[in-house]
Amino acid sequence: MFVHNGVHEEASAENEDAIANIGFIVGAASVAVIDPGGSFEEGRALRAAIRSRTDLPIRYVVLTHVHPDHILGAAAFRDDHPDFIGHSKLPGALAQRGEYYLRRLEDALGVAAIGTEIPKPTKLVSDRLELDLGGRRLILRAHGPAHTDNDLTVFDEKTRTFWLADLLFVDRIPVIDGSLVGWLKELQELVQVPADRAVPGHGPPSVPWPRAAEPERQYLDSVAHDTRAAIKAGIGIADAYRHVAQSERGHWLLFDDYHQRNVTASYKELEWE
Amino acid sequence: MGVTPSMFARAIFSSLLLLMMIGGSGRAEPSEAERAARWSDLRHAIFGNRVVEDAGELVAIDAPARAEDAAIVPVAIRVAERLGRDVRGLYLVIDDNPSPLAAHFVLGPLVDTREIATRVRIDDYTYLHAVAETGDGRLYAASQFIKAAGGCSAPAGKDQALALERLGKMKLTVGERPTPDAPIKVKLLVSHPNNSGLQMDQATRNYIPADFMQTLEVTYNGQSVFQLASDIAISEDPSFEFSFRPADPAVAGVITAEILDSSQRRFSQSWPIPAAAQQM
Repeated sequence: MFVHNGVHEEASAENEDAIANIGFIVGAASVAVIDPGGSFEEGRALRAAIRSRTDLPIRYVVLTHVHPDHILGAAAFRDDHPDFIGHSKLPGALAQRGEYYLRRLEDALGVAAIGTEIPKPTKLVSDRLELDLGGRRLILRAHGPAHTDNDLTVFDEKTRTFWLADLLFVDRIPVIDGSLVGWLKELQELVQVPADRAVPGHGPPSVPWPRAAEPERQYLDSVAHDTRAAIKAGIGIADAYRHVAQSERGHWLLFDDYHQRNVTASYKELEWE
Repeated sequence: MGVTPSMFARAIFSSLLLLMMIGGSGRAEPSEAERAARWSDLRHAIFGNRVVEDAGELVAIDAPARAEDAAIVPVAIRVAERLGRDVRGLYLVIDDNPSPLAAHFVLGPLVDTREIATRVRIDDYTYLHAVAETGDGRLYAASQFIKAAGGCSAPAGKDQALALERLGKMKLTVGERPTPDAPIKVKLLVSHPNNSGLQMDQATRNYIPADFMQTLEVTYNGQSVFQLASDIAISEDPSFEFSFRPADPAVAGVITAEILDSSQRRFSQSWPIPAAAQQM
């Protein structure tokens, strides 16, 4: 299993949108890519890294969720004719957002975005799917709304490694783009998975499991608690973030870039309770 | 009655939308003079040759100077007590949005005109204008500049399955009444994607059709609180905060919200309002 470590930045021409952890897993018969990266160029670099290690066919490209930093590199693998695997709700999310993400990437990267296309999933997972790479089994699970409404995780039986993608943020502040309540619920089940280590979508390439989930759980729990209190106190949606999870500020990179959005999203979700 | 306020507003909405689509490409950051010219054009499109006075202290807009999420920008329109009783209508204009006339409230006898708040989408750095119309036809305009961009074409729907399941459902929260004759403060939430029609479906290369709340009518015991003609500028899951005064606070009543959306769906929901507690 190989992981390329994303940088904790926003997408730019310099980093080619290589801001998420992406990688690949090699079996005896074939290769599975777990997230092709944030641009065509990053996808090509990943493909070159694979080819420097093995000539086995790239049979699967797993798209862990709709966010552009993870999947916009898919076109780099088109000529390998792999299954592009996504959550059953991924096509709907791509229809809503794909064009917008592509335009934003073009704005941020300029010519470095050339070749980047919106991925087209060819195989969908609504619950569970096993992939056999030849003596190496991967178990894919489709999750309920959490980080997004189309999150997939990958469990590698051979190394007992749990690839959570953006269901796990380490060091970089989590982004709530699905359901806060759903995410907290999913986490309760995810920590039961008997893995030795995990690969977060952002953060170090390998972290101990389930211990590495604790800071994220604490942030989400604190956002839920304080946002409910703000709604109850009649504090408006624009001001709520000032009263929510401020004690978490020192624990996360890019806190000021994403916290306010997280609170707005949580407020919109929780005001229906 | 002939032409209803909502029919009138719809005609303006569609003609403005067309105007904006023709004029909307290849822009640089406009100068103050260009912004003023734009408001002048919009003002004439909406109010014709009627005089629009500077509201001074009479009308105010409350919105953040810089919006973190341009798809959900809270905006409150406030009317001074002095003008209050005379106000019959409120217009909210977002000058640089693809469809600038965001909302037209026709105020009923029960509404507390001092404040009405909603959440809107904002597409570019822009002036907002709130215009109050009095019973004798005078127009008072207030403005505020706001820094926000991308709200109209921003992708919506964090949990699409939930959005479909909840479509048209409403939630009403009633605030506490400090005194029996105080206005009743209400927050109304409507579950509706309010699609702007500015997002593209990649598979079909077609724009996802606009699907938005066109009118909202709030009544209390059959009497009008307000009627709203609205548009794609209202945020997903529209939210309204307002207050109203029951004719007789000592009697319980029913508040009703009725919605017609651009797909001709109708939604209606009612909630009981208890009688005010009697003072000892």
